[in-house]
Amino acid sequence: MAFVNLQNVTYKYPLTKAPVLQNVNLQVDEGEFVSIVGPNGAGKSTLCYALAGFVPHFFKGEISGSIEVDGKESSKSTLDEWVLNVGLAFQNPFNQISGAKYTVFEEIAFGLENIGVPREEMKSRVEDAMALTGIRDLADRSPYSLSGGQQQRVALTSILVMRPKLLVLDEPTSQMDPIGTREVFGTIRKMAEEGMTVVLVEHKMEWIAKFADRVIALKDGSVLLEGKPNEVLTSDLLVENGFGISRYTSTAREAKKQGIWKKESLPVTLDEAAEGFTK
Amino acid sequence: MHERLSFHIKRDSFIHNLNPLTKLVLTLTLILIAFTFPWYWTPHLLVLVAIIPLSLLGKVFREFSVTALRLILPAAGFLFLMQAFFQPVGSDVIFKFYFLDVTQESLMFAFRNAMRVFVMVSAFTLFLVTTHPSELMSDLTRRGLPGQFSYVIISTLQILPQIIAKSQTIIAAQRSRGLDTESSFFKRAGSLIPLVGPLVFGSLMEVEERAIAIEARGFTSKQTKTSLHEIPDPSFDQMLRWVLVALIILSIALNLWLS
Repeated sequence: MAFVNLQNVTYKYPLTKAPVLQNVNLQVDEGEFVSIVGPNGAGKSTLCYALAGFVPHFFKGEISGSIEVDGKESSKSTLDEWVLNVGLAFQNPFNQISGAKYTVFEEIAFGLENIGVPREEMKSRVEDAMALTGIRDLADRSPYSLSGGQQQRVALTSILVMRPKLLVLDEPTSQMDPIGTREVFGTIRKMAEEGMTVVLVEHKMEWIAKFADRVIALKDGSVLLEGKPNEVLTSDLLVENGFGISRYTSTAREAKKQGIWKKESLPVTLDEAAEGFTK
Repeated sequence: MHERLSFHIKRDSFIHNLNPLTKLVLTLTLILIAFTFPWYWTPHLLVLVAIIPLSLLGKVFREFSVTALRLILPAAGFLFLMQAFFQPVGSDVIFKFYFLDVTQESLMFAFRNAMRVFVMVSAFTLFLVTTHPSELMSDLTRRGLPGQFSYVIISTLQILPQIIAKSQTIIAAQRSRGLDTESSFFKRAGSLIPLVGPLVFGSLMEVEERAIAIEARGFTSKQTKTSLHEIPDPSFDQMLRWVLVALIILSIALNLWLS
């Protein structure tokens, strides 16, 4: 039995006509790092909300099918219980700052205060989480004085500190520079290796190819394709369906048409492209 | 941009280290005594024996006197003038200003009321300056104030400056596209309309996302909340609070008994 199990999930927001998710079937194993790609409006964020329990508990609307995480059924749970197992961080960092706290340290402790973690344990967990994401030096700053990338790290840390079994991330590096992105991907990879299950929505294909175990391509609310990162991210189906692909993949695709790219498989990352072109 | 709506000045003083609730009770005591104690010179004396010594004890005398002179005193002075001129009491006219009579009674009355207001605003200022809002709120939450209530207070204090900053960004963006902000009043008022949409709807969208974010961090958890900071409440504070409450009761009782 998979750790995360979505069976025929179809969902419609209260004010939309067409369903945003249509017959989504999705299985993720414990400790697996799965990445979701898809064009705008494919239902990626809605899928994240569904995994994190906000669909349907927060947004209401019509849902059918079943969502199971760690053997528990979402529809039979309440949101405040669900968030103990599933953590969610999303794109806009500014709105994820609670506003109730005056320093980054307090901000990260906010979730632990809410779920009643004792003070001493809280302090050490916040310290550990900050060390993990490399934001120790921000501890005494006001969360509102930080840059977008730093705020995103604080938002990620605020969720990691709660130690969810399933971590759902919706473009958590959108405001980060390449170095920040690499570090955050490294952190997520490490969490997955330590047994945390990760579902990540991301546009940065090269990073997905380097770090994720599996990729799921979502289109119009349904799963179009899933498999190993390099197979999915270089598939012709992605181009035909209007997905963004890595610049190395598209370069090699052109090169292949002209007979310059000799290998059978296409590259996603710079290293793969360089290797293919020089041989 | 990063300014916060907080008057708190970080110092290490006897007053700063009092429990927030004690400070709140102290503030209320000063105000209630100033308003109820049945002796004419009570608020005047309170300024001398309580407000000024407390500001010295809290190591905020300099900041407090600046605020008092620039803000509280002018407001109290204005109140004094209004009441001295318009309070129709007494017959002992000291001088006439057109049709307005200033009597000795109305002067005395206005002087006391102005001092009462001065004590009230000063006491609150001292309270806000020496108490960190999040300390006050976590202490009150620990004592049973609903978490939602304190969240609303603190987040408003923090998010309002952000909304102001955002409205300025929107104005700048609209101006760069030719929005008129410098001509006649009516034109400028009209030019505010394109500002309202992005600001109001944008803020509403943000509220939804923020609700999701804090919900994801267990905000509605049924667990008893804990607090990162321990806010000490020594027996001295508890005793002090009872003494202050006794003073309030005494003052109100004397007021009722003598009236």
